[in-house]
Amino acid sequence: MQRRNALGLIGGIAATPLTSIREALAQAAPGKTLTYGQSTRVTTLDPAQGAFSTYPGGYEVGYCLFDRLVDFDKNLKIVPGLATSSEVAADAKSVRFKLRSGVKFHDGTPFDAAAVKFNVERLMDKARNPTNRPLWDVVSAVEIVDPATVVVRTKDPFSQILNSFAHGSGSIVSPASVEKYGEKGVALNPVGAGPFMLESFTPGQEIALKAFDGYWGGRPATDRLVFKFIAEPATRIAALRTGSVDIVDSVPVQLVAGLRREANIEVITGPSLRPLGLVINMANAPFNDPKVRQALNHAVPVKTIAERVFFGFAKASDSPLAFDTQGYKKNAPFEYSTDKAKALLASAGWIPGADGKLQKGGQPLKIRMLASEGLFPGDVSIIEICQRAFAQIGIDATITKVESGAYYGELRKERAALNFDLAMFGFNPSNASGLYHLESLYKSNASDTGALDVWNIGRYRNPKVDDLLRQAHATVDLPAQNALLGQVQDIVWSDAPYVWLHVNENVTAVRKGVKGVEVWPIVFTIPRRASV
Amino acid sequence: MVTIVFFIFKAVPGDEAQMMAGATASQVDIDLLRTRLGLDQPLLTQYGTRMLGLVQGNLGYSSTFRGNPLPHILSRLPATLALATAAILVTVVLGIPAGVLAAVRQRSWLDYSLSLLVVGLLAIPNFWLGMMLVIVLSVEWRILPSFGFTGWASLVMPTMALSARLVALVTRMTRGVVIDELGKDYIRTARAKGVAEFAVISHHLLRNAMIPTLTIIGLETGYLLGGSVVVERIFAWPGIGDLLVNAIGARDFTLVQGITVVFVVGFLLVNLIVELLYLALNPRLRHA
Repeated sequence: MQRRNALGLIGGIAATPLTSIREALAQAAPGKTLTYGQSTRVTTLDPAQGAFSTYPGGYEVGYCLFDRLVDFDKNLKIVPGLATSSEVAADAKSVRFKLRSGVKFHDGTPFDAAAVKFNVERLMDKARNPTNRPLWDVVSAVEIVDPATVVVRTKDPFSQILNSFAHGSGSIVSPASVEKYGEKGVALNPVGAGPFMLESFTPGQEIALKAFDGYWGGRPATDRLVFKFIAEPATRIAALRTGSVDIVDSVPVQLVAGLRREANIEVITGPSLRPLGLVINMANAPFNDPKVRQALNHAVPVKTIAERVFFGFAKASDSPLAFDTQGYKKNAPFEYSTDKAKALLASAGWIPGADGKLQKGGQPLKIRMLASEGLFPGDVSIIEICQRAFAQIGIDATITKVESGAYYGELRKERAALNFDLAMFGFNPSNASGLYHLESLYKSNASDTGALDVWNIGRYRNPKVDDLLRQAHATVDLPAQNALLGQVQDIVWSDAPYVWLHVNENVTAVRKGVKGVEVWPIVFTIPRRASV
Repeated sequence: MVTIVFFIFKAVPGDEAQMMAGATASQVDIDLLRTRLGLDQPLLTQYGTRMLGLVQGNLGYSSTFRGNPLPHILSRLPATLALATAAILVTVVLGIPAGVLAAVRQRSWLDYSLSLLVVGLLAIPNFWLGMMLVIVLSVEWRILPSFGFTGWASLVMPTMALSARLVALVTRMTRGVVIDELGKDYIRTARAKGVAEFAVISHHLLRNAMIPTLTIIGLETGYLLGGSVVVERIFAWPGIGDLLVNAIGARDFTLVQGITVVFVVGFLLVNLIVELLYLALNPRLRHA
């Protein structure tokens, strides 16, 4: 009897907190607060001083806190923001912004030409803004024409200037806040003119934003936005299923089918801007021969990779650019055909020997491949499939896997120190510009033997490409610029400095009833215009 | 220790400036950051600056927090301490009685089922246990929050995941020690005096049986700290273990070094407490 009483007591103690938690969970779900479980941690929110960290988490918060002179819509088209109009001069060496009047920052100070000048000069200054240099190095001066008009000048023609201003680093910070918190202090005390203002910030854990009543575009539909960092995918999904968060990003593709079956969850997908491929190190023979490079492209079953490794949430590339990049032009995909691959290799002198392995002058064809572990989605599976694919046409390929933290360092070595023939790489043009993407990867390096300028890892060099890129920089008219970029893509595609693979989709999931969450191709999940 | 971590991390491939600048960075970006982080200085200069700062409570420039990471580490310490303390408490409260029970009822069904449970708990990795707990208790039954720290209920699952192995170890250890002690003279004397069996165990035996158990807890502090790294990540627990994983990925070695210092201090403190408890439990040691 006594024992039973004791058990009852224990049961009673245990039941009390459990019921209250259940109630708390039930209450937490609906309401005017949206909670987003992010896969990347946010530690700083200053567009300068090392930029919003990290990518994409910090940028996603930055796009809600701040406004920019011009903005991206969800398809990355450039639309007016704090500037009502923006005119790029015909020589592509200046841009004139007409500023919106009556706009106030969260701290009540006015947004005007002086604020724009302050921000742009801050971004130009390498000491204060050591990141995103390719977007800002070219800017030479900011001139205030009148309190509502600003002209920004560049050293060289730079037709993609508006992409820099729509990029997260172009976020306009309240100059008074920089004065108040200091250059370094803004990172934790961000004050912008966006639809949401900061309520609380625990770096690396949680950010709470509240609707800004004075927003020029009208008060946002959601009262509060809460960003919580949840590193582990399984934990993010569990949090979404219990309703403790409303939005999660970076859903593993193998879980999508299961989530789609759940009545209260909606999955949002969209192609990314990052084409993945194996960059070919052209320093070594026989990879300086385009026939060999094209043969390798015919040898890899890219469609199978997209379907089997990514369950269809990836698409085989048909251009050096991803499908949604500005200036993208479709090319004829390399057909998967071991016969074509072998024929091309044979025409380059590589003939199967007695053991079936390709050889030339008694030397076997060997490929050293480098891949990351956990940096690119499915990287290890992909490189192993490529290894098998090359074996099928008689090539021995070896794999070296590198831990993700060390991977980019391996790629950036000087040419003589590169210890691979093929290396996995994908570039995400965070300003959405195809020109930026093509220039970063395919413009000749200043020196072919030294370090990289940007990301031309394989030391691709084609004067025609360099010339077309230079013309594109000076061409403001978008169709004409795209035509130039189209020519670049045609040349690069057939030169095949990569074994082209696929473009992944970004996968975000939300609770049913959450509307307006945008999944941008540059990996951003943006709840700025979302509502419950 | 700090010295070892410093040089190991210098030898690890991967560049902090590169990681900070991100995948779209150009060489110009990276060089600027290297200068700014002092990574272009000679190794010994970097080491000197680091040690000098450490003495002054300045761990250096953390690329994650864009400054001295010490306040951030300290602000996360309570969560990790809460988790470790809860795990040790659960271990003591469950492990010792279970071990005693198994020993006293040696070769009974109770003993055998406890042994089976012990083997099970030792074999299950803590990350798997954690995920299973989330699926059952949070997603299916909705009785516990699945992640983060939102109240004491949040502590339940991480503590279970972290303490499972320790409970098993301590149960097994206690069982062995108690069986050993039960055959000793002082127990026979106590029983001969007519002391009730419960008092023999609780008063005479347990004191002696506690010492090896304490040793286990002291030694396993390393496991607690390491295990917290995994468990904290699974439960998005706002502690320093979770911070450490990301710091390594980002090659933020200022932060790694700071957390290592905290871990080392924690390990030493727990073992100091264990030593003091030895003295409290065993008067003979006080004169030694």
